[in-house]
Amino acid sequence: MRVAVLAGSIRAGMRIAGEIENLPGIDVFVIVCNVGMRSPLLRWSRELFSALKSFEKWTFAAKAYSYARQERLIILHWPLDDPASIELLRSLQCDVGLHAANVIYREGTISAFRLGILNAHIGILPKYRGRCVVEWSVLQGDPTGVTVFFIDSGIDTGERIVLQEFIPSNGWKRVGALKNMLFGCDARLYRKALEALMQPGVQYEGNDILKGRRYYVMSHMLINTVDKILRDRANLG
Amino acid sequence: MDLETALSRPVPLDRRKEILRGALLRRRAELRKSWKHFISVEGLESLGSLAPEVESFLSGQGSIHDWRPAATFTWINCDASFSDSLRSIALAGEVDYRPSDTSPARLSLVDLNKLSNIKRLNLLCARYRCPLNIAAASEFDVAEELLRQLMVPDRAKLEAGEEFDADIILLKLNLVGIRAMITRDLRYLDALNYFYELLHRSLAHMRTSPRYVALWLCIYAQLLSMPDW
Repeated sequence: MRVAVLAGSIRAGMRIAGEIENLPGIDVFVIVCNVGMRSPLLRWSRELFSALKSFEKWTFAAKAYSYARQERLIILHWPLDDPASIELLRSLQCDVGLHAANVIYREGTISAFRLGILNAHIGILPKYRGRCVVEWSVLQGDPTGVTVFFIDSGIDTGERIVLQEFIPSNGWKRVGALKNMLFGCDARLYRKALEALMQPGVQYEGNDILKGRRYYVMSHMLINTVDKILRDRANLG
Repeated sequence: MDLETALSRPVPLDRRKEILRGALLRRRAELRKSWKHFISVEGLESLGSLAPEVESFLSGQGSIHDWRPAATFTWINCDASFSDSLRSIALAGEVDYRPSDTSPARLSLVDLNKLSNIKRLNLLCARYRCPLNIAAASEFDVAEELLRQLMVPDRAKLEAGEEFDADIILLKLNLVGIRAMITRDLRYLDALNYFYELLHRSLAHMRTSPRYVALWLCIYAQLLSMPDW
Protein backbone atom coordinates (compact mmCIF):
# COMPACT_ATOMS: atom_id res chain seq x y z
CA MET A 1 0.00 0.00 0.00
CA ARG A 2 1.37 3.43 -0.96
CA VAL A 3 0.68 6.12 1.59
CA ALA A 4 1.38 9.86 1.48
CA VAL A 5 1.45 12.00 4.61
CA LEU A 6 0.11 15.46 3.70
CA ALA A 7 1.87 17.62 6.26
CA GLY A 8 2.19 21.29 7.11
CA SER A 9 5.88 20.94 7.96
CA ILE A 10 8.70 18.44 7.43
CA ARG A 11 8.78 17.69 11.14
CA ALA A 12 5.02 16.98 11.31
CA GLY A 13 5.27 14.73 8.28
CA MET A 14 8.30 12.81 9.54
CA ARG A 15 6.63 12.22 12.92
CA ILE A 16 3.73 10.37 11.29
CA ALA A 17 5.96 8.67 8.71
CA GLY A 18 8.12 7.35 11.57
CA GLU A 19 5.10 5.65 13.13
CA ILE A 20 3.89 3.90 10.00
CA GLU A 21 7.02 3.22 7.94
CA ASN A 22 7.70 -0.13 9.58
CA LEU A 23 4.29 -1.56 8.79
CA PRO A 24 4.78 -4.46 6.41
CA GLY A 25 3.73 -3.68 2.84
CA ILE A 26 3.66 0.10 3.27
CA ASP A 27 5.54 2.64 1.13
CA VAL A 28 5.52 6.08 2.70
CA PHE A 29 5.88 9.50 1.08
CA VAL A 30 5.86 12.82 2.91
CA ILE A 31 4.29 15.70 1.02
CA VAL A 32 4.92 19.07 2.65
CA CYS A 33 2.23 21.59 1.76
CA ASN A 34 2.85 25.33 1.70
CA VAL A 35 0.10 26.22 4.17
CA GLY A 36 -0.87 29.88 3.83
CA MET A 37 1.46 30.20 0.79
CA ARG A 38 4.32 31.58 2.86
CA SER A 39 7.39 33.11 1.23
CA PRO A 40 10.36 30.73 0.84
CA LEU A 41 12.34 32.64 3.50
CA LEU A 42 9.54 32.44 6.08
CA ARG A 43 8.76 28.86 5.20
CA TRP A 44 12.32 27.58 5.58
CA SER A 45 12.90 29.67 8.73
CA ARG A 46 9.89 27.93 10.29
CA GLU A 47 11.14 24.53 9.18
CA LEU A 48 14.57 25.22 10.65
CA PHE A 49 13.13 26.53 13.91
CA SER A 50 10.82 23.53 14.16
CA ALA A 51 13.76 21.16 13.60
CA LEU A 52 15.95 22.91 16.19
CA LYS A 53 13.16 22.67 18.76
CA SER A 54 13.12 18.92 18.37
CA PHE A 55 14.85 16.92 21.11
CA GLU A 56 15.98 14.43 18.51
CA LYS A 57 17.06 16.92 15.89
CA TRP A 58 19.91 14.79 14.50
CA THR A 59 17.73 11.69 14.16
CA PHE A 60 15.07 13.85 12.56
CA ALA A 61 17.59 15.45 10.15
CA ALA A 62 19.01 12.06 9.20
CA LYS A 63 15.54 10.65 8.58
CA ALA A 64 14.46 13.67 6.52
CA TYR A 65 17.69 13.44 4.49
CA SER A 66 17.09 9.74 3.88
CA TYR A 67 13.54 10.41 2.68
CA ALA A 68 14.72 13.26 0.45
CA ARG A 69 17.45 11.10 -1.08
CA GLN A 70 14.89 8.42 -1.93
CA GLU A 71 12.61 11.09 -3.39
CA ARG A 72 10.03 10.29 -0.73
CA LEU A 73 10.09 13.79 0.76
CA ILE A 74 8.36 16.19 -1.60
CA ILE A 75 8.05 19.90 -0.97
CA LEU A 76 5.08 21.49 -2.71
CA HIS A 77 5.55 25.04 -3.95
CA TRP A 78 1.98 25.52 -5.17
CA PRO A 79 -1.31 25.26 -3.29
CA LEU A 80 -2.44 21.68 -2.73
CA ASP A 81 -5.42 22.05 -5.08
CA ASP A 82 -3.33 23.58 -7.88
CA PRO A 83 -3.41 21.38 -11.02
CA ALA A 84 0.39 21.01 -10.85
CA SER A 85 0.18 19.68 -7.26
CA ILE A 86 -2.67 17.33 -8.15
CA GLU A 87 -0.73 16.03 -11.14
CA LEU A 88 2.24 15.36 -8.87
CA LEU A 89 0.05 13.57 -6.32
CA ARG A 90 -1.50 11.43 -9.06
CA SER A 91 1.92 10.48 -10.36
CA LEU A 92 2.76 8.93 -6.96
CA GLN A 93 -0.17 6.49 -7.39
CA CYS A 94 -0.88 6.46 -3.66
CA ASP A 95 -3.71 4.46 -2.16
CA VAL A 96 -4.20 6.60 0.93
CA GLY A 97 -3.36 10.15 2.04
CA LEU A 98 -3.01 11.03 5.72
CA HIS A 99 -4.15 14.50 6.73
CA ALA A 100 -1.57 16.38 8.80
CA ALA A 101 -1.75 19.88 7.30
CA ASN A 102 -4.06 22.75 8.08
CA VAL A 103 -5.60 22.85 4.61
CA ILE A 104 -9.01 22.38 2.99
CA TYR A 105 -9.12 19.49 0.56
CA ARG A 106 -10.99 19.86 -2.69
CA GLU A 107 -12.38 17.03 -4.77
CA GLY A 108 -9.41 16.99 -7.18
CA THR A 109 -6.92 16.44 -4.37
CA ILE A 110 -9.04 13.78 -2.65
CA SER A 111 -9.52 11.81 -5.86
CA ALA A 112 -5.76 11.74 -6.46
CA PHE A 113 -5.69 8.90 -3.88
CA ARG A 114 -7.18 5.51 -4.76
CA LEU A 115 -9.04 5.11 -1.43
CA GLY A 116 -9.03 8.73 -0.31
CA ILE A 117 -7.53 10.87 2.46
CA LEU A 118 -7.82 9.85 6.12
CA ASN A 119 -8.40 12.40 8.86
CA ALA A 120 -7.91 11.76 12.59
CA HIS A 121 -10.78 13.93 13.87
CA ILE A 122 -10.58 14.68 17.60
CA GLY A 123 -14.27 14.06 18.17
CA ILE A 124 -16.79 11.28 18.04
CA LEU A 125 -18.58 11.09 14.70
CA PRO A 126 -21.28 11.37 13.59
CA LYS A 127 -22.43 13.35 16.65
CA TYR A 128 -19.66 15.94 16.76
CA ARG A 129 -18.62 17.56 13.48
CA GLY A 130 -16.70 20.80 13.01
CA ARG A 131 -14.67 22.83 15.47
CA CYS A 132 -14.11 22.77 19.24
CA VAL A 133 -15.74 19.34 19.38
CA VAL A 134 -13.72 18.33 22.45
CA GLU A 135 -15.02 21.36 24.33
CA TRP A 136 -18.59 20.72 23.20
CA SER A 137 -18.39 17.03 24.14
CA VAL A 138 -17.21 17.82 27.67
CA LEU A 139 -19.78 20.57 28.08
CA GLN A 140 -22.61 18.28 27.03
CA GLY A 141 -21.38 15.32 29.08
CA ASP A 142 -20.51 13.14 26.10
CA PRO A 143 -17.44 10.91 25.69
CA THR A 144 -14.31 12.28 24.03
CA GLY A 145 -12.13 10.46 21.53
CA VAL A 146 -10.79 10.32 17.99
CA THR A 147 -12.48 9.14 14.79
CA VAL A 148 -10.40 8.19 11.76
CA PHE A 149 -12.44 8.53 8.59
CA PHE A 150 -12.10 9.21 4.89
CA ILE A 151 -12.82 12.87 4.24
CA ASP A 152 -14.95 14.36 1.51
CA SER A 153 -15.15 18.02 0.58
CA GLY A 154 -17.64 18.78 3.41
CA ILE A 155 -16.92 19.49 7.07
CA ASP A 156 -16.40 16.05 8.66
CA THR A 157 -19.11 14.57 6.45
CA GLY A 158 -17.08 11.77 4.81
CA GLU A 159 -19.19 8.63 4.87
CA ARG A 160 -16.56 5.96 5.66
CA ILE A 161 -15.36 5.69 9.26
CA VAL A 162 -12.38 3.34 9.56
CA LEU A 163 -12.04 3.35 13.33
CA GLN A 164 -13.04 5.20 16.45
CA GLU A 165 -11.35 5.24 19.83
CA PHE A 166 -12.97 6.62 22.98
CA ILE A 167 -10.31 8.40 25.05
CA PRO A 168 -11.61 9.65 28.40
CA SER A 169 -11.09 13.24 29.49
CA ASN A 170 -10.82 12.18 33.15
CA GLY A 171 -7.79 13.63 34.91
CA TRP A 172 -7.30 16.55 32.51
CA LYS A 173 -7.74 19.95 34.10
CA ARG A 174 -7.52 22.12 30.98
CA VAL A 175 -9.19 21.51 27.66
CA GLY A 176 -6.16 22.85 25.74
CA ALA A 177 -3.94 20.13 27.18
CA LEU A 178 -6.63 17.51 26.59
CA LYS A 179 -6.86 18.55 22.92
CA ASN A 180 -3.09 18.41 22.48
CA MET A 181 -3.12 14.86 23.86
CA LEU A 182 -5.91 13.88 21.43
CA PHE A 183 -4.14 15.55 18.47
CA GLY A 184 -1.02 13.63 19.45
CA CYS A 185 -2.85 10.31 18.99
CA ASP A 186 -3.00 10.82 15.22
CA ALA A 187 0.12 8.85 14.22
CA ARG A 188 -0.82 5.83 16.36
CA LEU A 189 -4.40 5.83 15.10
CA TYR A 190 -3.35 6.28 11.47
CA ARG A 191 -1.19 3.19 11.97
CA LYS A 192 -4.17 1.25 13.34
CA ALA A 193 -6.37 2.50 10.49
CA LEU A 194 -3.84 1.42 7.85
CA GLU A 195 -3.58 -2.00 9.50
CA ALA A 196 -7.37 -2.27 9.33
CA LEU A 197 -7.41 -1.18 5.68
CA MET A 198 -4.89 -3.87 4.76
CA GLN A 199 -7.15 -6.59 6.13
CA PRO A 200 -9.23 -8.36 3.49
CA GLY A 201 -12.90 -7.33 3.37
CA VAL A 202 -12.50 -4.20 5.46
CA GLN A 203 -15.83 -2.91 6.78
CA TYR A 204 -16.52 0.79 7.35
CA GLU A 205 -18.83 2.33 9.92
CA GLY A 206 -21.23 4.83 8.40
CA ASN A 207 -21.13 8.53 9.26
CA ASP A 208 -24.80 9.49 9.24
CA ILE A 209 -24.71 13.27 9.46
CA LEU A 210 -28.38 13.38 10.42
CA LYS A 211 -27.35 11.86 13.76
CA GLY A 212 -25.08 14.75 14.59
CA ARG A 213 -24.56 18.49 14.45
CA ARG A 214 -21.91 20.82 13.13
CA TYR A 215 -20.18 22.71 15.93
CA TYR A 216 -18.34 25.99 15.73
CA VAL A 217 -15.60 27.84 17.54
CA MET A 218 -16.59 28.30 21.18
CA SER A 219 -16.85 31.56 23.14
CA HIS A 220 -14.29 32.36 25.86
CA MET A 221 -17.07 32.10 28.39
CA LEU A 222 -17.93 28.50 27.53
CA ILE A 223 -14.26 27.48 27.16
CA ASN A 224 -13.70 28.71 30.72
CA THR A 225 -16.79 26.76 31.75
CA VAL A 226 -15.39 23.60 30.16
CA ASP A 227 -12.08 24.09 32.00
CA LYS A 228 -14.02 24.45 35.22
CA ILE A 229 -15.98 21.24 34.55
CA LEU A 230 -12.71 19.38 33.90
CA ARG A 231 -11.08 20.75 37.07
CA ASP A 232 -14.17 19.88 39.06
CA ARG A 233 -14.10 16.33 37.77
CA ALA A 234 -10.34 15.99 38.40
CA ASN A 235 -10.75 17.25 41.96
CA LEU A 236 -13.60 14.83 42.58
CA GLY A 237 -11.49 11.92 41.42
CA MET B 1 -12.52 1.19 24.60
CA ASP B 2 -16.28 0.93 24.72
CA LEU B 3 -18.70 3.71 25.50
CA GLU B 4 -19.40 2.52 29.05
CA THR B 5 -15.71 2.61 29.97
CA ALA B 6 -15.26 6.01 28.35
CA LEU B 7 -18.02 7.31 30.53
CA SER B 8 -16.60 5.64 33.62
CA ARG B 9 -16.35 8.80 35.65
CA PRO B 10 -18.61 11.49 34.22
CA VAL B 11 -19.23 14.76 35.98
CA PRO B 12 -22.56 14.33 37.69
CA LEU B 13 -25.02 15.92 35.29
CA ASP B 14 -26.38 18.33 37.89
CA ARG B 15 -22.90 19.60 38.78
CA ARG B 16 -22.06 20.23 35.11
CA LYS B 17 -25.30 22.10 34.69
CA GLU B 18 -24.64 24.01 37.89
CA ILE B 19 -21.24 25.18 36.60
CA LEU B 20 -22.80 26.26 33.31
CA ARG B 21 -25.63 28.05 35.07
CA GLY B 22 -23.14 29.91 37.25
CA ALA B 23 -21.22 31.09 34.18
CA LEU B 24 -24.40 32.28 32.46
CA LEU B 25 -25.54 34.20 35.52
CA ARG B 26 -22.14 35.85 35.87
CA ARG B 27 -22.38 36.97 32.24
CA ARG B 28 -25.90 38.25 32.93
CA ALA B 29 -24.56 40.31 35.83
CA GLU B 30 -21.80 41.66 33.60
CA LEU B 31 -24.32 42.51 30.89
CA ARG B 32 -26.36 44.45 33.44
CA LYS B 33 -23.38 46.79 33.83
CA SER B 34 -21.92 46.73 30.32
CA TRP B 35 -24.90 47.03 28.00
CA LYS B 36 -24.53 50.81 27.79
CA HIS B 37 -21.21 50.28 26.00
CA PHE B 38 -23.17 48.77 23.13
CA ILE B 39 -25.81 51.50 22.81
CA SER B 40 -24.78 55.13 22.85
CA VAL B 41 -26.89 57.78 24.62
CA GLU B 42 -27.99 59.08 21.21
CA GLY B 43 -28.81 55.56 20.10
CA LEU B 44 -30.94 55.00 23.17
CA GLU B 45 -32.75 58.29 22.62
CA SER B 46 -33.45 57.29 19.01
CA LEU B 47 -35.43 54.29 20.27
CA GLY B 48 -38.21 56.59 21.49
CA SER B 49 -40.79 54.78 23.60
CA LEU B 50 -38.73 51.60 23.48
CA ALA B 51 -35.81 53.23 25.33
CA PRO B 52 -37.15 53.13 28.91
CA GLU B 53 -38.34 49.54 28.46
CA VAL B 54 -34.93 48.44 27.17
CA GLU B 55 -33.12 50.32 29.91
CA SER B 56 -35.29 48.82 32.62
CA PHE B 57 -35.07 45.33 31.10
CA LEU B 58 -31.29 45.29 30.75
CA SER B 59 -30.43 47.11 33.97
CA GLY B 60 -32.91 45.27 36.14
CA GLN B 61 -33.28 41.62 36.98
CA GLY B 62 -35.24 41.24 33.74
CA SER B 63 -37.95 38.71 33.24
CA ILE B 64 -37.97 35.68 31.02
CA HIS B 65 -40.74 34.23 28.95
CA ASP B 66 -40.79 30.55 28.13
CA TRP B 67 -41.63 30.58 24.43
CA ARG B 68 -41.54 26.82 24.07
CA PRO B 69 -44.90 25.68 22.74
CA ALA B 70 -46.68 22.83 24.51
CA ALA B 71 -46.52 20.74 21.35
CA THR B 72 -44.41 20.72 18.20
CA PHE B 73 -45.73 23.42 15.93
CA THR B 74 -45.80 23.61 12.16
CA TRP B 75 -46.12 27.36 11.73
CA ILE B 76 -47.39 30.37 13.63
CA ASN B 77 -49.36 33.25 12.19
CA CYS B 78 -49.58 36.64 13.86
CA ASP B 79 -51.08 39.98 12.95
CA ALA B 80 -48.32 42.16 14.38
CA SER B 81 -45.46 43.33 12.18
CA PHE B 82 -42.01 41.74 12.36
CA SER B 83 -40.72 44.75 14.24
CA ASP B 84 -43.49 44.67 16.86
CA SER B 85 -43.29 40.89 17.28
CA LEU B 86 -39.52 41.04 17.76
CA ARG B 87 -39.95 43.78 20.36
CA SER B 88 -42.51 41.72 22.30
CA ILE B 89 -40.35 38.61 22.25
CA ALA B 90 -37.18 40.47 23.24
CA LEU B 91 -38.88 42.19 26.17
CA ALA B 92 -40.55 38.97 27.34
CA GLY B 93 -43.98 40.34 26.48
CA GLU B 94 -46.90 38.64 24.82
CA VAL B 95 -47.30 37.78 21.14
CA ASP B 96 -50.80 37.20 19.87
CA TYR B 97 -50.43 34.22 17.57
CA ARG B 98 -52.41 31.45 15.96
CA PRO B 99 -50.92 28.03 15.23
CA SER B 100 -51.27 26.88 11.66
CA ASP B 101 -51.09 23.41 10.14
CA THR B 102 -49.32 24.58 7.01
CA SER B 103 -45.96 26.24 6.59
CA PRO B 104 -44.83 28.36 3.63
CA ALA B 105 -42.81 26.80 0.83
CA ARG B 106 -39.25 25.84 1.76
CA LEU B 107 -36.74 28.63 1.54
CA SER B 108 -33.96 27.72 -0.86
CA LEU B 109 -30.59 28.37 0.76
CA VAL B 110 -28.99 28.77 -2.65
CA ASP B 111 -31.48 31.48 -3.54
CA LEU B 112 -31.13 33.11 -0.12
CA ASN B 113 -27.37 33.33 -0.45
CA LYS B 114 -27.59 34.85 -3.92
CA LEU B 115 -29.43 37.90 -2.58
CA SER B 116 -27.83 41.19 -1.62
CA ASN B 117 -27.76 41.95 2.10
CA ILE B 118 -30.70 44.33 1.93
CA LYS B 119 -32.84 41.88 -0.05
CA ARG B 120 -31.88 39.05 2.28
CA LEU B 121 -32.81 41.17 5.28
CA ASN B 122 -36.20 42.02 3.76
CA LEU B 123 -36.87 38.40 2.87
CA LEU B 124 -36.01 37.16 6.37
CA CYS B 125 -38.14 39.85 8.01
CA ALA B 126 -41.08 38.93 5.77
CA ARG B 127 -40.76 35.16 6.25
CA TYR B 128 -40.27 35.49 9.99
CA ARG B 129 -42.92 38.13 10.52
CA CYS B 130 -43.61 36.03 13.60
CA PRO B 131 -39.96 35.44 14.56
CA LEU B 132 -40.85 32.36 16.65
CA ASN B 133 -41.15 30.49 13.34
CA ILE B 134 -37.36 30.33 13.10
CA ALA B 135 -37.67 27.49 15.63
CA ALA B 136 -40.16 25.51 13.53
CA ALA B 137 -38.94 22.07 12.46
CA SER B 138 -39.28 23.06 8.80
CA GLU B 139 -36.80 25.93 9.33
CA PHE B 140 -33.96 23.74 10.62
CA ASP B 141 -31.86 24.16 7.47
CA VAL B 142 -32.35 27.94 7.38
CA ALA B 143 -31.46 28.28 11.05
CA GLU B 144 -28.36 26.11 10.61
CA GLU B 145 -27.31 28.24 7.65
CA LEU B 146 -27.76 31.48 9.61
CA LEU B 147 -25.69 29.99 12.44
CA ARG B 148 -23.01 28.90 9.97
CA GLN B 149 -22.90 32.33 8.35
CA LEU B 150 -22.52 34.02 11.72
CA MET B 151 -19.86 31.67 13.02
CA VAL B 152 -17.81 31.32 9.83
CA PRO B 153 -17.82 34.19 7.29
CA ASP B 154 -19.31 36.94 9.48
CA ARG B 155 -17.05 36.09 12.41
CA ALA B 156 -14.01 35.98 10.12
CA LYS B 157 -14.87 39.42 8.71
CA LEU B 158 -15.25 40.96 12.14
CA GLU B 159 -12.08 39.36 13.46
CA ALA B 160 -10.12 40.60 10.46
CA GLY B 161 -11.47 44.11 11.03
CA GLU B 162 -13.15 44.14 7.60
CA GLU B 163 -16.27 46.13 6.72
CA PHE B 164 -19.54 44.38 7.53
CA ASP B 165 -23.27 45.03 7.32
CA ALA B 166 -24.37 45.51 10.92
CA ASP B 167 -28.11 45.21 10.18
CA ILE B 168 -27.97 41.75 8.62
CA ILE B 169 -25.60 40.41 11.29
CA LEU B 170 -27.82 41.75 14.07
CA LEU B 171 -30.95 40.35 12.42
CA LYS B 172 -29.28 36.93 12.28
CA LEU B 173 -28.25 37.23 15.93
CA ASN B 174 -31.82 38.07 16.91
CA LEU B 175 -33.24 35.10 14.99
CA VAL B 176 -30.58 32.70 16.24
CA GLY B 177 -31.24 33.91 19.79
CA ILE B 178 -34.96 33.24 19.42
CA ARG B 179 -34.23 29.73 18.14
CA ALA B 180 -32.04 29.18 21.22
CA MET B 181 -34.91 30.29 23.46
CA ILE B 182 -37.18 27.61 22.07
CA THR B 183 -34.84 24.74 21.23
CA ARG B 184 -32.35 25.21 24.12
CA ASP B 185 -29.59 24.37 21.64
CA LEU B 186 -26.38 25.58 23.28
CA ARG B 187 -24.71 26.21 19.92
CA TYR B 188 -27.21 28.95 19.19
CA LEU B 189 -26.76 30.51 22.62
CA ASP B 190 -23.01 30.40 22.18
CA ALA B 191 -23.22 32.35 18.92
CA LEU B 192 -24.60 35.18 21.04
CA ASN B 193 -21.86 34.67 23.63
CA TYR B 194 -19.25 34.80 20.90
CA PHE B 195 -20.59 37.94 19.27
CA TYR B 196 -21.05 39.64 22.64
CA GLU B 197 -17.33 39.08 23.23
CA LEU B 198 -16.41 39.99 19.65
CA LEU B 199 -18.56 43.06 19.21
CA HIS B 200 -16.83 44.92 22.03
CA ARG B 201 -14.21 45.50 19.32
CA SER B 202 -16.64 46.67 16.63
CA LEU B 203 -18.90 48.97 18.58
CA ALA B 204 -18.71 51.89 16.17
CA HIS B 205 -20.41 49.82 13.47
CA MET B 206 -23.10 48.49 15.75
CA ARG B 207 -24.17 51.90 16.88
CA THR B 208 -25.75 52.52 13.49
CA SER B 209 -28.43 49.95 14.35
CA PRO B 210 -29.46 50.75 17.95
CA ARG B 211 -32.86 49.06 17.72
CA TYR B 212 -31.49 45.69 16.60
CA VAL B 213 -28.66 45.94 19.13
CA ALA B 214 -31.09 46.70 21.97
CA LEU B 215 -33.45 43.85 21.11
CA TRP B 216 -30.56 41.43 20.61
CA LEU B 217 -29.19 42.32 24.05
CA CYS B 218 -32.64 41.81 25.61
CA ILE B 219 -32.93 38.38 23.99
CA TYR B 220 -29.41 37.58 25.16
CA ALA B 221 -30.29 38.67 28.71
CA GLN B 222 -33.28 36.32 28.69
CA LEU B 223 -31.17 33.43 27.42
CA LEU B 224 -28.59 33.96 30.16
CA SER B 225 -31.32 33.91 32.81
CA MET B 226 -32.96 30.70 31.62
CA PRO B 227 -32.44 27.97 34.20
CA ASP B 228 -32.74 24.86 32.10
CA TRP B 229 -29.84 24.59 29.66
